[in-house]
Amino acid sequence: MSDLDRQIEQLKKCEPLKESEVKALCLKAMEILVEESNVQRVDAPVTICGDIHGQFYDMKELFKVGGDCPKTNYLFLGDFVDRGFYSVETFLLLLALKVRYPDRITLIRGNHESRQITQVYGFYDECLRKYGSVNVWRYCTDIFDYLSLSALIENKIFSVHGGLSPAISTLDQIRTIDRKQEVPHDGAMCDLLWSDPEDIVDGWGLSPRGAGFLFGGSVVTSFNHTNNIDYICRAHQLVMEGYKWMFNNQIVTVWSAPNYCYRCGNVAAILELDENLNKQFRVFDAAPQESRGTPAKKPAPDYFL
Amino acid sequence: MEPPPPRTPQDQAPHTHPQPSIAIPTTGTCCKCGGATTFAPPPQTPTSWPDLSSPPTYRPIRAPAINLPPNNTQAIILAPVPQSQKVPIIDPPFRFQVPTKKITCPDDIRKFHDSPTSKNFLGFIVALSESIRGHKISDPCHESPIISKIVSIIETLSLWIDQIPPVQQSSRYGNISYRTWHERLTENAESLMLQFLSDDLKPSTIEIVPYFSDSFGNSSRIDYGTGHETNFAAWLYCLARMGIIKEEDYQAVVARVFVKYLDLMRKLQLVYSLEPAGSHGVWGLDDYHFLPFIFGSSQLIDHKYMKPKSIHNEDILENFSSEYMYLSCIGFIKKVKKGLFAEHSPLLDDISGVPNWNKVNSGLLKMYKAEVLEKVPIMQHFLFGWLLKWE
Repeated sequence: MSDLDRQIEQLKKCEPLKESEVKALCLKAMEILVEESNVQRVDAPVTICGDIHGQFYDMKELFKVGGDCPKTNYLFLGDFVDRGFYSVETFLLLLALKVRYPDRITLIRGNHESRQITQVYGFYDECLRKYGSVNVWRYCTDIFDYLSLSALIENKIFSVHGGLSPAISTLDQIRTIDRKQEVPHDGAMCDLLWSDPEDIVDGWGLSPRGAGFLFGGSVVTSFNHTNNIDYICRAHQLVMEGYKWMFNNQIVTVWSAPNYCYRCGNVAAILELDENLNKQFRVFDAAPQESRGTPAKKPAPDYFL
Repeated sequence: MEPPPPRTPQDQAPHTHPQPSIAIPTTGTCCKCGGATTFAPPPQTPTSWPDLSSPPTYRPIRAPAINLPPNNTQAIILAPVPQSQKVPIIDPPFRFQVPTKKITCPDDIRKFHDSPTSKNFLGFIVALSESIRGHKISDPCHESPIISKIVSIIETLSLWIDQIPPVQQSSRYGNISYRTWHERLTENAESLMLQFLSDDLKPSTIEIVPYFSDSFGNSSRIDYGTGHETNFAAWLYCLARMGIIKEEDYQAVVARVFVKYLDLMRKLQLVYSLEPAGSHGVWGLDDYHFLPFIFGSSQLIDHKYMKPKSIHNEDILENFSSEYMYLSCIGFIKKVKKGLFAEHSPLLDDISGVPNWNKVNSGLLKMYKAEVLEKVPIMQHFLFGWLLKWE
């Protein structure tokens, strides 16, 4: 068994890697990711997954429902980290699978795959708490810069974490972005990761998130027409039912973190596309308590010494 | 939903991609005296990121971190526990002004942190915490008319929730009826303040209403967090600056006013499904609150049998939540969150291992200062005027 296979087995048991192993894994992943396009080509059949947010045991439910990688070909739409308890284990497992089976799993970047955001929403604190230093956070956030921005399935389904941008009308414009950087505060790259579709908006609206835009049905119609695509598949917003179509089936939101933040009571979904792009949503619940490992007890933070 | 943290100023040192030095020294250096050693150092693996492949131009645009390195254990341990301070009461002529945001970057935070305003505001919170030390919520305390007045204002806000039921909606978590409630709050905030302000202090509404209106969450994002809670404390601080709340009122401010505020906030959180604003997820103390843990731990200092680890005792939670804020907070979390406590609330779980409530209280005060009052993403929204000065 190779080191990598051993690490995947270890991560599947929710045991984090050593700092040196994380560093080596990130180096290997970088070599693969750097070759990917900003609009990464993906072949069907493929299973599309939305936000995970460090909910490791719920992601294991996802794999139970969707099948293991590499048997199932996966596309993850970002937001692997933050909020949940197991962002480190979650992201490293996905990254290790990417290195092991680069053609069977595609990871694209979400707005939480960012240095600034992870310092506010938990991943930074988690790395510090679990490793006692921020090195692992640094390796991971450095690799975030290399994640692709979007995917195109069989030239027909455009997939992105957030949504559209007023600065982008064609896929070629996305292809020209220099993505190897921290997520900017505005502009095309930021919008792709931050924007939301909104019923009440005609055209473009201000986003209450403070980044990205709200976009209405006409924007989606025009984008899909221009780029000759059937529909857009995105994540980024909690949907209580796990998925949600909007604007006459021109865009769908897929959300894969059940009982988000341990409190929201929502179900999660993944979207399976067969070789003919037929759709099948699979809805699943949070992992039951008995299948979740118990976190190791730690001494209280330094404030309390 | 969450707003992004503020822009980092452009003059900040750019983040450089980690490039471990690949220069291998010919001789080693003694780590004690710095002199040359007789042995050559072990060969370093010449792996640096650029060597493995040639990455495209890396164009960092943000500073790497806000408060790096935070892992300075020694500095945190040695940091003094914030001390209580008397609030200086204003003298005429009054120069009330519309308060504005001042903090946009870490330099501003450092300035705030060093200012008398920040020390006095935190000192006020410590004084509130000390006022409730060793007391149950129901313990008799001095209750002046202003206390009942504020309590009745909060009851009014709570009544509005009953009058504005959540709409039936699918998909979305936060309920949009909250916006109607919040609109009524902003429309009526001034008249609510005028109910208790004496004539000479009536002009203060331009300054104190913004704090009050920001105390109950954000209506466009339908969320609530420690920043909003801090605004409520700032509003109380403004009342103390004007002499409306006096030191003899402090215990009632915590046991009557703040307890009522907490009830209201929980009702808002549940009825309208407010999202946690800027939460650290499981790595924060709580999704929404901080101050009730400070006041609550103070209540339990030197308690005969309830220890920090007692939060794991269901009987204690059930029987004493109505009297002790810390326990009611734990009970509330256990009610609204599903799953293992150690997984969804690891910090509170770890704090339950602290030997006594005194340590919990002082630790929380240090943590409040560092994790709330010194965090740009939270304090960028904080307002400064004449009562709470930017200096």
